[in-house]
Amino acid sequence: MKIAISVQDAVFDLTTEQHRLTAARCDIGAVVSFTGWVRDFNERPDITALTLEHFPKMTEKVLHEIALEAGERWALQGVTIIHRVGRLEPGDAIVLVMTASVHRRAAFEACDFIMDYLKTRAPFWKKEHTDNGSYWVSERQSDREAADRWEHS
Amino acid sequence: MTLTHLNARGEAHMVDVADKQETRREARARGAVHMQASTLALLSEGGLPKGDVLATARIAGIQAAKRTHELIPLCHALALSKVSVEFSLDISRSCVHVEAFCRLNGRTGVEMEALTAVSVACLTLYDMCKAVDKGMTIDGVCLEEKRGGRSGDWSREDVSEATRGSRGESEAVAVSNGVAVQFLAELRERFETAEYALEWEQLPSHDIAGVKLALIKQDPKFKALLNQRVLCARNEAMSQDSAVIAPGDEIAFFPPVTGG
Repeated sequence: MKIAISVQDAVFDLTTEQHRLTAARCDIGAVVSFTGWVRDFNERPDITALTLEHFPKMTEKVLHEIALEAGERWALQGVTIIHRVGRLEPGDAIVLVMTASVHRRAAFEACDFIMDYLKTRAPFWKKEHTDNGSYWVSERQSDREAADRWEHS
Repeated sequence: MTLTHLNARGEAHMVDVADKQETRREARARGAVHMQASTLALLSEGGLPKGDVLATARIAGIQAAKRTHELIPLCHALALSKVSVEFSLDISRSCVHVEAFCRLNGRTGVEMEALTAVSVACLTLYDMCKAVDKGMTIDGVCLEEKRGGRSGDWSREDVSEATRGSRGESEAVAVSNGVAVQFLAELRERFETAEYALEWEQLPSHDIAGVKLALIKQDPKFKALLNQRVLCARNEAMSQDSAVIAPGDEIAFFPPVTGG
């Protein structure tokens, strides 16, 4: 399984990443991708920007482990995980998860699984900025429940 | 005490171990490669021209442990049952710590194997990074502990405590034997501090819970660490309050994650 992990400031390009994942292969039957975008509303309505912090020593290792675990649960041919850090504005893409497999079901489910684990395990923290000040985003119960459902499957 | 590799005439010889009892033997050794901060950053980002440095150095260390007898003249060839090589990146000291552990059931010790694994892993780190940083140094290669065999268990910690007791050793030793604590994201802002060094002697117990208590004793603001949702990583691996810690460990505390 080809695993590509990147934590970066720069924007990413979906088409480029898909070419990279599928380059020189004719056995891939399905590629599923998820892109997360920065909204202008979250806990408060008027978000002007957010700052993404992470734990450099650990982040890529955790993402790699999540990709490996997905590979143990589903027959995958490739996984790409890109997460941006630094300052981002509404309308910016923040995260990309791409999975490749022979048939679509594995790619869909693995992509879903990776996002759920990324949101609850990978050491990223968001700080949202508004005209009335900045605050750290709280964890969501719904994210924890989404990740928990894989524990029993 | 005699040198076992010299015979009665003072000549080098290989010790005959045929009649020695087989026992469980273990040894742990460590060392470090100091480098420029920019090199360490490249290493952690995977941006070095020769590729995945740590994975390559780990395999090099493991291979070297298995071939120690080919390198060190009077060493026996051993069928090691376990060899592990671990790395931790230390941004504050701008170095990579290398630790090797070897084990077998056999008639001779595995200290040389652990030391060889550390040495060759360090050399490989140097080779993989030298294109961008020729001034790197390999330092502090030493045996940390050994277990089993006729000479029994030995640990550097016991020895340094003994010498500290008799000679009143300097502060520097205590600091390098302590733990480095790091706070991330909201916790860093709340505590208005990113890093904190604790000395080993300050810890009421040698686990994560002990680190929290020692910090609270220093400043009550650290009581926030007792919140159930605060997460902890020991040497970059998620750990619970009961996780045992060792001198030189890096402990990071952070709030629940909110990426994605």
